[in-house]
Amino acid sequence: MDDTTPSTTPSRRAFLGGALRLAGGAWVLFSGGPLADALATAGAPGEGYDWTEHRYAYLIDTEKCIGCGSCARACAAENDVPDGFFRTWIERYVVGVEGSHVDSPNGGKDGFPPVQVGFEPTKAFFVPKLCNHCKETPCIQVCPVGASYRTKDGMVLVDGERCIGCAYCVQACPYGSRFLDPVTHTAEKCTWCYHRVTKGLRPACVEVCPTGTRMFGDMKRDGDPVRHAIEHDRVAILQGHLLTEPQCFYLHLDKEVR
Amino acid sequence: MEHARHVFRAVLVLVVVVAAVSIGRGFLVPPSYGLHGPYRYDNVQEQMDVRAPRHGGVAACAACHAAQADKRTAGGHRTVSCEACHGPLARHVAEGKRSAAMPVDRSYLLCARCHRKVLGRPEGFPQVVLERHLQDQQVAGPVEGKVCLDCHDPHSPKP
Repeated sequence: MDDTTPSTTPSRRAFLGGALRLAGGAWVLFSGGPLADALATAGAPGEGYDWTEHRYAYLIDTEKCIGCGSCARACAAENDVPDGFFRTWIERYVVGVEGSHVDSPNGGKDGFPPVQVGFEPTKAFFVPKLCNHCKETPCIQVCPVGASYRTKDGMVLVDGERCIGCAYCVQACPYGSRFLDPVTHTAEKCTWCYHRVTKGLRPACVEVCPTGTRMFGDMKRDGDPVRHAIEHDRVAILQGHLLTEPQCFYLHLDKEVR
Repeated sequence: MEHARHVFRAVLVLVVVVAAVSIGRGFLVPPSYGLHGPYRYDNVQEQMDVRAPRHGGVAACAACHAAQADKRTAGGHRTVSCEACHGPLARHVAEGKRSAAMPVDRSYLLCARCHRKVLGRPEGFPQVVLERHLQDQQVAGPVEGKVCLDCHDPHSPKP
């Protein structure tokens, strides 16, 4: 070997290391390239349904809710929600100067009984709750296996096949919208009835709401009443300080509601 | 070409490593994973097909029960979906045909879910204290069974 060359020729170890790194980089570059794009357009979901043409939103007018529980019953029937667990539920707030009281017996499924509180109530109202389908959702961020995801039309869904049932997402959700299914031991939650809305139907809870408290709309559809309300009315969201960007909007929401 | 053997060996190792990684990845990662983000894209379609919709809406009920549907549309319960009281259509209809009798709840408890006076309902909403309402209407007997339906037609209730 020539004595002057070793400084310019890389050692065997350095060469192998560099080559491996280069290969890894090339792998990353090409795996997300044109091939993936081609596959993606080939396998668009649902015949006759384009998920890029929709972006759903939910609107709840708490002033109209009568606490009948039809929504929670319909949800359980539509989605086989096990007893004692809820994808949607109704809370009752009884508020006075001296205190406040919140209850939700069986999620409001059986309606609400008369209630006695230890203070003079000045106002009382019902607030339906469900998954907020947040844009910046903590539940997806904490999922270690990529089972939770947000679709292009705005739903936060759980892939039961990927879910390992660690329940990080149940802990992460600030709205208590998720639970572990007692049978499958995977995370379950409201899907805004994805199997219905992708067929042009409304979610079951909206379908049966007798007072028009619950409304479901599409932000990409012109003249949509829910879109109009969100764009023009004073709407509130739950726990806005957490910056999760909920896509459930509330009309006439009281400060007591968390 | 003594040194070429080193290059050949390195390339061989590289090829083996790349092949092992791609084969391993093929087994471990579902095919549709990562197409639109870090999730299994096939699940979107699975969620769409998870089950047939069970609530059919008023129009589906009216296809057979036109009389009741018309009565409802003309009355005070015009905003109340049939399925809010009767339950989902799928309990009664399968593949466009009657599959089972629709269970009908005629109990006063069904009416009470909306119309019993409880704290929390909007003030303008019609609600009654059950016992007092019976006294006021001079109906003898306790609040039980289908006592509401003795006077009120649920498809077109009079106040």
